[in-house]
Formats: sequence, structure tokens, C-alpha cells
Amino acid sequence: MGSFILRRLWQGLLVVLGVTLTVFVVTRVFGDPVSLMLPLTATAEQRAAFAHEIGLDRPLLVQFLGFMRDLVALDFGNSLWQRRPAIEVVFERLPNTLLLIVAGLGFAILASIPLGIIAALRPGGIVDRLTVSLGLIGLSMPQFWVGLLFIVIFAVQLKLLPTSGMGTPAHLILPALTLGLTPLARLTLLVRSSMIDELNQQYIKAARAKGLGLSRILGVHALRNVLISFLTLTGWELISILAGYTVVVETVFAWPGLGLTAMQAIQRGDLFLMQAIVFSIAFLIVLINIALDIAFKMIDPRINLN
Amino acid sequence: MFKHMLAAAVLAASLSAETVLAQSITIAIGSEPSTLDPQLRDDGGERQVNDNIYETLLARTPEGELVPSLAAEMPKQVDDLTWEFNLRQGVSFHNGEPFNADAVVYSVKRVIDPKNNSEQLAYFGTIAGAEKVDDDTVRITTTGPDPILPSRMYWMKMVAPKHAEEGDLAAQPAGTGPYRFVSWNRGADLTLEANPDHWDGAPEIDQVTYRFVTEPGTRLSGLMAGEFDVITNLLPEFTASVPKFAAVSGLETSVFVLGTDNEVTSDPRVREALNLAIDREAMAESLFLGYATVAKGHHVNPRAFGYNDQLQSYPYDPERAKALIEEAGATGKTIGVYGESGRWLKDREQIEAVAAYWREIGLAPEVHIEEFSQYLDTLMGDGPRPDAIFIANSNELLDADREASFIYHKDGPAASNSDAEMAEMIDKARVTTDTEARRSLYHDVFKKGHDLSYTVPLFNLHDIYGMSERMEWQPRVDAKLMVKEMSVTE
Repeated sequence: MGSFILRRLWQGLLVVLGVTLTVFVVTRVFGDPVSLMLPLTATAEQRAAFAHEIGLDRPLLVQFLGFMRDLVALDFGNSLWQRRPAIEVVFERLPNTLLLIVAGLGFAILASIPLGIIAALRPGGIVDRLTVSLGLIGLSMPQFWVGLLFIVIFAVQLKLLPTSGMGTPAHLILPALTLGLTPLARLTLLVRSSMIDELNQQYIKAARAKGLGLSRILGVHALRNVLISFLTLTGWELISILAGYTVVVETVFAWPGLGLTAMQAIQRGDLFLMQAIVFSIAFLIVLINIALDIAFKMIDPRINLN
Repeated sequence: MFKHMLAAAVLAASLSAETVLAQSITIAIGSEPSTLDPQLRDDGGERQVNDNIYETLLARTPEGELVPSLAAEMPKQVDDLTWEFNLRQGVSFHNGEPFNADAVVYSVKRVIDPKNNSEQLAYFGTIAGAEKVDDDTVRITTTGPDPILPSRMYWMKMVAPKHAEEGDLAAQPAGTGPYRFVSWNRGADLTLEANPDHWDGAPEIDQVTYRFVTEPGTRLSGLMAGEFDVITNLLPEFTASVPKFAAVSGLETSVFVLGTDNEVTSDPRVREALNLAIDREAMAESLFLGYATVAKGHHVNPRAFGYNDQLQSYPYDPERAKALIEEAGATGKTIGVYGESGRWLKDREQIEAVAAYWREIGLAPEVHIEEFSQYLDTLMGDGPRPDAIFIANSNELLDADREASFIYHKDGPAASNSDAEMAEMIDKARVTTDTEARRSLYHDVFKKGHDLSYTVPLFNLHDIYGMSERMEWQPRVDAKLMVKEMSVTE
């Protein structure tokens, strides 16, 4: 196990490096960060002076070596847009995004398992058909639109919740619901279909014949087998949310998370902040992947990690 | 429960009639300040907050007229390169430091110091330095004759020297303005309170909280839900659904810059036809619901110094436009139309509508909507000049030098012509300190630009603000959110 984690960490490090270097090159080769930063009125001399101050006038290779040296010390430089260390911005905004993800995805996970199981008990029944229809609707509604709809209904019309911003637990409800809706739909449909498959297996019939209670059959025997695919999909949801799917929700609800910050950094050509954000997110995703592999092994000891 | 709250509200209302009610408002702005240092960034969010904390030597009235602020009177020009400012006496910064000649000299030197790498150098590039004459008098020198210096001093915020050296200017601002900094929860909100010792008297609103909401639909919802009192950049189509709104002609003017050396657009007849082809009135009505003023033959801000009020807008005459295109033998010719999307109000809609009008008169416009940094490269890069490129040109200093130097001067970053004679006139206007002579130079420049159709001016765009029922405020032409000019009725 230990050697496995070490090896995965090493591979992960290569991935993180690769992603960060791609960003390094792309931000410098395509588009001109200086013209994004400065007002349109700036003269050519002012642009040149600005580029010199932040070191963009040096050859790409020199910049690259400097970047690598700083990377070893985890120094991402100052955000051009916020005029403070880029990593400070990341550490300030990342917890907000994680809070949103935990709430949204947590809600999706907790709700999808019972919903999926109930639907699977009577395939074709009214509950099942309702779940499938609602799930498909949930999958096809754009987050942006759902978010604004929630705001109009719950904040403007009913005045139950605040429209936007962060601060109290009430502020978290609408953005978390919006974020969790698509994963909820996908996970519920997955639990339902895998559960239907499992319930038709011979071992379930054997367990029933032995006289085991329904809750034990579902909760212990069938669910454990469903859990592998469930966890795979959950991991995929988590990673795709982390890798950018919070942007829409954070924008609509003015949630001060990392997704919104990344978006603004791109718009403002803040390459140092972008590098720090991409590095942190890539690092987190590598960690999540390792954690998922370990979890798989714990659920199903037959899985060979090597 | 509800009854109790109601009773409490009634009680509070009756109490407020006798006691002075502390009035606080919430303003939703589109972006969070990146820093509260008033001298580093060119950042709208930072300005919207700091305009209330810091002050400048000169200010503008809501209608745009330049008036003294921290200066006691308008500056005197000593010689071509030197301007003398007499300072208002008895003013102090929020942290207790006195405002005097030393503070002005420090502020000027700090913003132009290359070490600080201020993005605002774009506005202050001509300033050479500042020197103290006595405690209440400062001389500011320029690298060349600079008639725009007074306007520049309307843009430069004065900081407290000791605090700037020792304090945390980025997070703990201390200016001379009508509002003092209270707190900033990054990402969430920012609060200011009235400065009772302000030299111009304490402002009416006691406390203001800023919220940062990027999405216009969410700002609107917050206003409708009663969370916000003022929201910025209300879309024209939402004016019907808000409790109150106010519109004022803003700083931005949309325009197409034409490539006068390009194959098709080098013919003045084609360029004139491009102007005659567009029904601007109809566009203003359908795209902006009337919240846009048709530009009068040039794209200079109507409030700016040097605006030529004799010019008329190009008429809508598609028949003549078609005839001109035929005469020039350009029927069926392709012209490249460049632009971006999402940066300025209804940018893509304007570009596509105009391209459709151009198609009507027999041309074959090819629309390229580019990603913003790529667009900037097309606009200002070294590549070939586009046939027509869209821009919403903003004029913060309200001086025609902006439009002239940027777009009409052949060496301007966004210029697409090679008119040496016009460049000479602009160069001359830039260093002419005689007001009337300079005005007439600009009039000639814009007349020429109009007659030769160097650009296709479209609209002076209006800024629209949504407000809650209780707000009383007339927005300013320079788009500054001055809380001291607001009041609430309750």
C-alpha cells in the first residue's frame, strides 16, 4: 500500500507539472497579458515598461527557468490583478469553493442512494417512473438557468433566502442545491439501474431464500456491489466540479470561490494567479484520485492496486 | 411572530420620526476591488469604493464641469511646463495626518514612480514631478506642454504620506473623503461610514455597504428582493421591472474604426456608404430601448472638451449608400468586421446589426467575434489593420485627446489610417495650452474625420442604475458612484 501511494504521488506530481507548464506556455504565447492588464489608453512605452517590470520581456526560456526555481519553493509570485501573493488569493478562496462542493455534492450523495433504491424496488412503478423523469429533467436543465430560477422563486418571490453572497448558512442553500442538482440526477439514475441489476442476481435470490431481511439484503449485500460504480461516478463528479463546474454557480450567486476568481484572472490576463490556481486544483485532483483508489480497495479487496 | 415584527417595525418607524435615524444603504457593484490602494490599478471596482474615501485636487460636477476639490481654486499655469495649485487649508486625512503640500508632492511622486508599476501611468504619463512652494502651494511639472493636466489631476487620488509608507494602504485606506473605511470581508462585502469631519460637511447617508455581484440578473434579483438600494449596469430591458431607475449618458461611445488603407475601405465613397447604410435611430430604439444617444458624426464623448457640436449624425440613406457602393465598384466585395463579445453593453448585437445593414447595401461583410485578448491584438497589434473593427471607446478624463490620439492619430494604438496631416493637427492640439486654439484644432480634426468617414460612429451609451424605492440620486456623467450625492427618503 505504502509503495503504491508513493508511486501514485510521483505520477501525480508529473501530471501537476505537465498541467502547470501547459498553462505557463499558453498564457504567454497566446494573447498579450499586458494589453489585458493596462487601460486601452496606455502608450506603447508604458506597455513595454509594464512588461519589463513583471519580467515578460525576457526570453521565454529564462522566464521558464525562473518559474521552475520559484515553483520548487511554492512561490507563485504576486497576482497582477490583486497585487498580493497569488497563493494567498488561492488559500483565501479555495475553502469557499470546497464548502460549496461539500454541501452540494454531499446533498447529492445523501439523497441519491435512498431515491435510487426506492426507485429500483419496483422498476416501472409510479415512483420509479417519477424518479427517472425528474432525473432526466434535472440532467437537462442548465445550471445557470436553474440558479436564476431558484433566486427568483426563493429569494425574490418567497423572500425565504438571500439572493446572493456568502456569510450565513442560509446563503449556502441555493448555490449548494443548484450545484448538487445535476450530480443528484446522475447518481440517482446510476444507483437505480445498478440496483435493479444487482437485485436480479442469483446471490440475492439465495439470500432471500435463506430468509434475510430486505433491509439487510439491500443495505449490506447489494449496496456494497453498487458502491464501486457509485464511487467512481462520485469521484468523476467531484473532479469535474473542482475543475471548473463551480464557475457558473459562483457567478450566479456571487459566491466568492476559486472558480469565479479563476474566471476573473483569465479575463484580466493575470497569469501568475492562473498558474497558482491551476497548480492547486491539479494537486487536489491527484490527491482525490489516490484517495479514491484506496477507497476502492477497501470496498472490494479483490481489486489489485498494482 | 409576524405580528410582533410588524409591531416592532411600526414602533421603530414612530421612533425614527423623533430621533435621528442612522441611514445605511447597500450598493451592488459588478466586481470586487482588487486592492484598496488608490494609486496602483486601473480597476472599476476599486474606483467605485475609493472615490468616496479619497479625493483629488480637482473634481467634476455631476454634469462634468471641472471644479476645485482639494485645491482651493483652479490651477494657474506658470509656464508651458508648470502648473501651480493652491491647496485647501485645514483638511486632514482620516488617520489624522494633515493634508498639505507634502502630501500632494508625495502622492504625485508615488504614482509616477516606475517602481510602483502603476497601471494609472496611462493617465499620468506626461507628469514629470511635483515640488512644494510653501505648505499650501504645489507646482506640478510636465514633460511637455500638457493642456490636459487639470483633467489628470481630477483622476489622481491624494494619499497620506506617512500611512502610505508605514501602513497597509491596500487593505486599510485613509483618505480625506466624505467616507471612512470600516471593514472589508474579502469576497463578501465592504463597509464605509460617514466622515463627520469632512471639510465639505458630513454626508447625509451614514453607512454604505458594497456587495460584489458579477451577474446582472442576480443584481436585479437582489434589488427586487430589497437587499440592494443601488445596482450598477442595469440592462435597458429591465428598466420596466425595477422599483426605480436612473439613466445618464455615460463615458462610452461605440464606433467602428475603418481601415483607410485597405483594399475596399480605402475608397471614401465606400466609407461614406458604410455610414449611410445604418439606421441608428432604429438600433437605439430596439437594442437600447432609447437608452443610447446617436453619435453626431464623430465618436467623441459629448461632454468632453473638444467635442465638435457643429457636426451632424450621418443620415440613414440606404439608397444613396447602395449607389455609392456601385459607383465605387465594391458591390459584392468582402469586408472583414471584427469585434468581441461580452465586454461592452450589447457589443455583439451592435456588430451583427451593423453587418446586416452593410449586407443590405451590397457588400459581403464577414463577422469575426474574437476572444478578448485576441481582439486586443487585432485592435492594437502589429498585424494588418482590419477593414472595420468595433470598440466602445471610454473617455475617463473627458478630453478629446483620448479619441484623437487613440483612434484618429495615425500612430495611435487603435488607428487604421495614415493621414499625416491629421496626425500633425492632433500633435499640435496635444501641446497647445491656449484653450480656444486647442478647441478649434479638435473641431477641425473631427470635421475632417467626419468628412472622410474615417470611422462609423454609433452611440453614446447610457449608464443605467437600478434603485430601491427610497433612494434619491441623480447619477453623474463621469459614472462615479458618489455616495455623498445620494439620499434616502423614509
